[in-house]
Amino acid sequence: MTRLLTLLVAALLALPAAAEAQKPIKVGMPIPLSGPAALFGEPASKGAQMYVDELNAKGGVLGRKIELIIRDSKADANEAVRVSRELILKENVDFLVGTLTSAEGPAVSVVAKENKIVFIAPIPKTDQLTAADKLHPYVFRVAATTTIEGRSAAEIVSKWPVTKVATIAFDYAYGQDVTKAFVDYIKKIKPSVEIVDQQWPKLGEQDYNPFINAMMAKKPEAIVSSIWGGFFVTFSKQAKALGMFDAIKFNFIGLGEAGSPETTKSMGADYPVGIWGNSYDAFYWDESSPAHRDYTARISKYLKDEYPSSWAIQGYIGMQFLAEAIKKANSADSEKVSKALLGLTVDTPAGKLTIREKDHQANRGQLYGKTLKEAKYPFAIMKPVTYVDPTKFMD
Amino acid sequence: MTARPSPHHFVPDLSFVFAQSLSGLTAAMFLFLIASGLSLIFGVLRVLNFAHGTFYMLGAYAAYQIVQWLGTGPVSFWLSALGAALGVALLGGIVERLLFQRLYGKEELYQLLFTYALVLILGDAAKLIWGTQQKSLSRPPGLSGAVTMLGATIPYYNLFIILLGPAIALGFWFALQRTRAGRLIRAAALDRETLGALGVNVNALYTGVFVLGSFLGGLGGALITPMRAIVPGMDTDVIVEAFVVVVIGGLGSFWGTFLGALIYGQVLSFGILFFPRFSIFSIFALMAAVLIVRPWGLLGRPLR
Amino acid sequence: MSLRRIPWAALVFVAALFVPALGTRYYTFLANDVLIWALFATSLNLLVGYTGLVSFGHAAYFGIGAYTTGILMKKAGVSFLLAFPAAGLLAALFALVFGFFCVRLTRIYFAMLTLAFAQIVWAVCFKWNEVTGGEQGMPEIPYPDFGWIDRVAAFVPVLGGYRTAEQFYFLTLVLVAVCLLILRRIVGSPFGRMLATIRENPERAEFIGVNVRRYELAAFVLAGAFAGLAGGLFGIFNRGVFPDFAYWTKSSEVLIMTLLGGMGAFFGPALGAAVLIWLNQQIVSYTEYWPLVLGTILVVLLFVFPGGIAGALALLLRRSRRGVARA
Repeated sequence: MTRLLTLLVAALLALPAAAEAQKPIKVGMPIPLSGPAALFGEPASKGAQMYVDELNAKGGVLGRKIELIIRDSKADANEAVRVSRELILKENVDFLVGTLTSAEGPAVSVVAKENKIVFIAPIPKTDQLTAADKLHPYVFRVAATTTIEGRSAAEIVSKWPVTKVATIAFDYAYGQDVTKAFVDYIKKIKPSVEIVDQQWPKLGEQDYNPFINAMMAKKPEAIVSSIWGGFFVTFSKQAKALGMFDAIKFNFIGLGEAGSPETTKSMGADYPVGIWGNSYDAFYWDESSPAHRDYTARISKYLKDEYPSSWAIQGYIGMQFLAEAIKKANSADSEKVSKALLGLTVDTPAGKLTIREKDHQANRGQLYGKTLKEAKYPFAIMKPVTYVDPTKFMD
Repeated sequence: MTARPSPHHFVPDLSFVFAQSLSGLTAAMFLFLIASGLSLIFGVLRVLNFAHGTFYMLGAYAAYQIVQWLGTGPVSFWLSALGAALGVALLGGIVERLLFQRLYGKEELYQLLFTYALVLILGDAAKLIWGTQQKSLSRPPGLSGAVTMLGATIPYYNLFIILLGPAIALGFWFALQRTRAGRLIRAAALDRETLGALGVNVNALYTGVFVLGSFLGGLGGALITPMRAIVPGMDTDVIVEAFVVVVIGGLGSFWGTFLGALIYGQVLSFGILFFPRFSIFSIFALMAAVLIVRPWGLLGRPLR
Repeated sequence: MSLRRIPWAALVFVAALFVPALGTRYYTFLANDVLIWALFATSLNLLVGYTGLVSFGHAAYFGIGAYTTGILMKKAGVSFLLAFPAAGLLAALFALVFGFFCVRLTRIYFAMLTLAFAQIVWAVCFKWNEVTGGEQGMPEIPYPDFGWIDRVAAFVPVLGGYRTAEQFYFLTLVLVAVCLLILRRIVGSPFGRMLATIRENPERAEFIGVNVRRYELAAFVLAGAFAGLAGGLFGIFNRGVFPDFAYWTKSSEVLIMTLLGGMGAFFGPALGAAVLIWLNQQIVSYTEYWPLVLGTILVVLLFVFPGGIAGALALLLRRSRRGVARA
C-alpha cells in the first residue's frame, strides 16, 4: 500500500516536471512575407521551418520540441517591432530569430535587449546591428555584413584589368554602407582605381534608364552595383537593352545577391550572362561539402523545387545556431543561451561558422562567381563559384 | 558620407542629352498609357480609382501567365498583352457592375475607400495565385534589338512605346471627338444628370468607361513586363506616379495627362543630374507645387 | 432607463485602470496601443467627420510629433514634460503651414495635397540621416522618468510596484483621456457647431458670412496638434521612431479606423481603433493574408454599415426603443 502511495506521489510530483519538459520551446520569427522583400523572407522562413521539423522529428532539443511562430514584418522596421513585441508578450516566445532589412534588424535588437531575449539575425547586413554602441548581450548575427560584402567585392574587382569604376546603389543605409565599404577598401588595396561616377537611385526605383545613361556618359570600365531582388531584375533588363553590359565588357559585379539562382532563374534569357554576382547559397555548388549536398537534397525535397531557393539556408543556419546553443547551455533560458552562443562553432551546410565574442558576428561569407550559361540548367549559373572567406575583412 | 567625384569636369554632350531625353520620353509614354485610364475614369465617374495600379499589376501577371501557357513564339507576347488587357477589362466591368455601381449616390469618401479595399483584396489575391517570387518576361522577338542614333543606343522596344503613346492619344482623341460613344462620354463628363434625363443609359455608359479605363491599365501592365520585374508591390509604386501625372495635366483632361506625363518624364530624367539623391522627393514635390500654384493642372478646368 | 444617461466614457476609463491588474503584460501592451490610436483617430475625425475634410496625409503630424518627442528625449535629454507638449506644438506648426495651402482646395484636390505633404515629410525623415536617423529611424527612445511615482508610492501604496511599461500605460491613459475631453469640448462648442455647418454646406456657410477657410484651417491645426501628441506618445510606446510613421499607409489605417468605428459619433473612431487593432492581431495568428481580410471588412462596411460600428449600434438602439415604445 505504501509502495503504491509512494509511486502515486512520485508520479504526481513528476507530472508538472514532465509537463514542463513537454512544453515546446517557442521561437518567434518576424520576417517579410509580403512586398518586394518577400522573395527573400518567405524562403528563409521555410528554411527555418525545415530545420525545426527535422529537429522535432529527432525528438527536439533537451527533450522539448521547438515551435516556430512566423509573422509578417512587411520589411518595415515599425511593423517588425510591433510583431516582435506581440510575439514576446502574447505568444511568450523564448527566442527571436528573424528580420531581414537593415532597418528591421537594429529595431528588433532594441526590443530583444529590453526584454532580455536572445535574438539571432540571419539576414540583415548593416554594420549598425553589431556596432560597439549598439551591441548588447542578446543580439547575434549569422549573416554577412556590408563591410564583408563591400570588401569581398573590392578584392574581386581589384583583380580586374580596370581602373575606372562606377557604383550604383540605392540611396539608403544598405546601399550607402556597402558602397562605402567597397570604395574605402579598393582605394586601399589598389590605389590606382578611380571612382568616376556614383549613382544613387531611390529605394524602389522602377526606371533606371536616366541613371544608366548618366553612368555610361562617364565611361567607366567596371560597375559595382548593390541593387537587389526584383529591382535588380528591372535594372538589368533596362541596362541590357541599353547595351550597358557590352559597353563595360561585362566587368560588372552585382552585390545584393544578383548571382542567386532565384534571380537567374526568373530572368531566363534576359539575364546578362557574364557578370559577377554573389549569393548566400547555390544548389549547384559543386565543390561543396557532403553536408551541403545533403542539405541541398533535403531543401529541394522540402520546397518541392528542383532548383531550391538560395535564401532558405540563412533561416536554417539561424535556427541551427539557436538549437546548438540551447544544447550547449543545457537550458532554454536566454541568459544561459546568450553566453553559450559566444564563440560557438556550428557545422552548417555552408561550412563551419563561429560566432566571435568580440561583436557577436559569425564569419559568414558568401558565394561569388562569374556567371555563364551551361546546357545543364535552363538559366545562368555562377561558375566557378567560390566561397569568399570573410575573416580577413571583418576588422 | 562617401566622397563623390566632382561633376565639374563632365560636360554633357549631344548624345548624352539625346539619350536622357529619350529615356524621359519612354518613361512618359508608359506613364501616359497607365494614367490615361485613370484620367478617363476620373473625368467621367469623378472617382480617383486607387485600384488602377492593381489593375496594372494584374495585367502584368496575366500577361506572364498567358505566355506560360502559349510558350514563346513570335506572336505569343502580343497575344498575351491583348489577352491580359481584356482579362483585366472584364474584371473591371464585373467589379463596377456588381459592386461599384451601388456606391454612386453615396459620399465620395466611400467610393475612394472602396477602390482602396480593392487594392487590398486584389493585391493579396495576386500574391495567393502567383506567390512572392519575382517574374520576368522578355522583349518580343522582332523588338529585341537596338538602334544607334546620334551616338546613343536606343532599344527598339523603347521606340515602340514612344510611338505607341501618341498613337493611343490620337486614337482616343479621334474616338472622343468623332464617334457617338465618344460624344456621350464627353457629355457625361460635363453633366451626367441631363444626360440621364435625355434617356441615355448612363449606367451602361459608366460601366463602359470603367471597362475601357481598366483595359488601358491592364495593357500598360502587360506592355511594361519586358522592361520591369513583376513583383508584389508594383501596384502601389505606379499609382502614385499616375496620380501625379494626372494632377499635373489636370484631372479629367485627356491631353493634360499626355502633357503631364511628358513633363514628369523629363523632370525625372534630368532631375537626377541637377538634384542627385533627391529623386525620392521629386514626385511629391512636383505634385505639391502644382496643387499649390495651379490646382486644376495645366490643361484642366478650374474646378470649384 | 436611458442608455444615454450612463456615463460610458467614465466607466471605460475606470475599467481601463484595471487592465494591468489582469496579469499578462500583453493586455497592457494592447490597451496602450489602442489608447494612442484612439486619440489619433479622433483627431482625424475632427477633420473628416466634423468638418467634412478628407485628409489622406494625417500621418504626417503623427510622425512629426513622434520625431519631436523622440529627438528631444533621446538626443537632447529633454524631459517628457517638455517633449510631449513640444510634439503637439511642432505638429500644429506644420499643420498651420501645410493646412494654409490645403484648405484653399476642395475635395479630391485637398486630399491629394495632404497626401503630397505627408509623403514629403516621410521623405525628409527617410533621408535626413543626421537628425532623424534616416531609414533606420531612432530605435531606443527612453521612457519618461517615473522616479516620482515611486517616491509618491511611499505615501500612496496603491501606486507602487508597477513596471515601467505599466506606469507608461497609466500615463497614456490619463493624457489620452484629457486630450479626448478637450476635443469633446471643442466639438460641442460654438466653434464645433460651426464646423458642422461648414460640413453640411460650405457654400451656404460662406453665404452667411462665415470665413470658411479660417475655420477649416483652425480645424486642420487642432487635428494636427492632437495627432502630434498621439505621435509623441507612440514613439515612446513603440520603443523607437521610424519614418513609416508618416507614410501614407499609416494615414489609410487611421482613416479606416475612423470609418469602421463611425464618423458620426465622437467615440466612434476610438471604438474603431480598438476593434481594428484587436481584429488585426487575431487574424495574423492564423494567416498572412490580413490585407485580404481587411479589404473584405472594408467592403462590407461600405455597403452594409456605412455609419460604422457606432452607426450600427445607434440603429439597433433606435429600433429596440421603438419596439419598447410600441409595446
